[in-house]
Amino acid sequence: MSEVIIMDVIISTLATFWLLLALSFVLIKRGLWIFNDVAKGLSMFMLEKALGPAIDFVSGRPGSSSSTWIIHGLVWAFASSTLTFMGLWLNHDPTALHSFESWGYHPDSSELIYAGRLTALFGAIGMSVVGASLYSLPRLCGTHLASESNATLVSLLWTLSVLLMFLGSQNAVIAGITILPIANLLLTLASTALAINLILTVSEATQEIPFPGWLIVYAFIGNIAAILAVFISGGFDEGVGQWLLFHLAGGTFFFCGVAGVSLYSVSVGSGNPLWSKSLVAFTLFGALITINPMGSTDPSMVVDLFSLTSNELEPSSRDVISGSFLMALSAIPIIAFSANMLVTMRGSDAFVENPDSPGIAELNLGAWMLIPIAIGSLFVQTDALGGVNELSGISQSLDLMAIWLVMMPLSLGAALNVLPRASGRHQLSANRSRWAFWMMSGGAFLGLLITLMSDFTDMALTESMAEQGSSINQELRKVGSVMFYGTVIGAIFHCTNTISGQYRGRIMGDISKASLSSIAIESYSLTGPTTIRKILASGATLDTEVSPSEQSEEKGSATEL
Amino acid sequence: MSIEVPSSVDEFIQGEKEPASSGVVVVLGFVSMLSFLILYGILFPGRDMPVISEVLPMFEGVFDSGIWFFLLGVIFGAFSIIATMLTEATSE
Repeated sequence: MSEVIIMDVIISTLATFWLLLALSFVLIKRGLWIFNDVAKGLSMFMLEKALGPAIDFVSGRPGSSSSTWIIHGLVWAFASSTLTFMGLWLNHDPTALHSFESWGYHPDSSELIYAGRLTALFGAIGMSVVGASLYSLPRLCGTHLASESNATLVSLLWTLSVLLMFLGSQNAVIAGITILPIANLLLTLASTALAINLILTVSEATQEIPFPGWLIVYAFIGNIAAILAVFISGGFDEGVGQWLLFHLAGGTFFFCGVAGVSLYSVSVGSGNPLWSKSLVAFTLFGALITINPMGSTDPSMVVDLFSLTSNELEPSSRDVISGSFLMALSAIPIIAFSANMLVTMRGSDAFVENPDSPGIAELNLGAWMLIPIAIGSLFVQTDALGGVNELSGISQSLDLMAIWLVMMPLSLGAALNVLPRASGRHQLSANRSRWAFWMMSGGAFLGLLITLMSDFTDMALTESMAEQGSSINQELRKVGSVMFYGTVIGAIFHCTNTISGQYRGRIMGDISKASLSSIAIESYSLTGPTTIRKILASGATLDTEVSPSEQSEEKGSATEL
Repeated sequence: MSIEVPSSVDEFIQGEKEPASSGVVVVLGFVSMLSFLILYGILFPGRDMPVISEVLPMFEGVFDSGIWFFLLGVIFGAFSIIATMLTEATSE
């Protein structure tokens, strides 16, 4: 009997997962019969009144929760990029921070990269996705967020849990207490409050909810369902079950969440209608039915967060077949999502030069990088699941690429696009925002690409059983980490620009103070037929308003006094 | 008939915007400082800098990796974020 369970970890867990999702869909659509009003009232009471005086400390202004979450996310982006940079540096210079040892702290490359991954995923990406969701889902439902105050308050709980994750990644046990499970407990508490808040919002929908709205809803519900499914099926005790939970969480909260807010933002930001409704449907169902290949091959994050016993990844042949097939199948939602994003952006002038469309450049980058990185991840995951492990050397770099070149740009782009609408003010400077984009994207792309090259060299040397490592390899790692420093600078620019923008940024809809450079002209009077070249040559930019001058063909006469 | 214009307003007046040339003054000061340091090395070759030469050995073995150059930037960035939060929240 136990052998049967071992053989079917992936299929049995996924069957439970799909059943839970179907059940949740029916409950959302049909409600709880006569208990609907009681459940709603009780949930609202739990979200607000039950919290006592704490709820009065935060603002209940519309959009305030979204702004709070996004600013927290940006600060975490700075912290996570710094930790990842330090981890990459210590990869080639392990004793660089040895002076910290006098304080009892022993920094290690893998621990710092682990801390960088945790803070990037749950801090920067997670908080940006939640922030953008809290603004976009009520708009998609044609209603208001059920409880702005609770959502704002929960952001503090979430940030505390991410802080504990950072501490736990550096020192697993402090004063006899294992830190990471406590961080996960706080995160689960915050996630549950958010899920209830969003379900209550959906229950008040005044219109049919578009598919991006369902992507956001299932980002929260799917994550909880994935955890329940792995524990109900007993897969949590198996290496395969732990690996599956890691990828189901990646496919639900991270992929569905990022896809939902990105598809909303790309349409709102570019001013174009979403290209294809069917492709969004494929993205939603594909993300829930398949296994997302992006992420690490090592599920130790799940083991640490849930305080499980670490087991080797030893899948049965049926698990290898079903896992590989479902990962290959994930190409459908990934390509559908990427194509829908890119085509929706077509033809509009919404790019990095346009201050009225912040975040579009990041969304563009994320949509472009999604397919190559997903395909690369598919090869690495299939290799690991099959037990071949020939590509395990590039697993870490590819995981970092998925975080910094796909998830981070998409979540950050959606957050930057939503923030002015939620807070009512633009970022302080379009120029600094532009610099931040180029620094972050250039730093992450070049830094991680060069690190990946170094990984390949390492793999080749290991395969050829070379006795000495190559010196060029260390140089490549050094250059890669220095390049990645651009991401840190970009994150600092984004943080200061956004925080200042909340106080002094141009008010939304106020075009009189549009940020133009000193040489650009604000308006151009068109007196007769001319070419676009001549207009541009006069100093006009893409934001210059071209207005035709009124003229008359009638014969002139003396001006009457 | 002439209008009497007061020679002073007896109040402290400060411009709202920063003049572009003020940055030049700061750069000029920085370049002068570097020039004087180089001049010190030329005029007194082989002699340690006063005060600085006594402070720097305290940090030997601490900042002995290139990563500290970058971490200095990170520290500067972290303080700039905190300073932005504080000044924006407290300014009128």
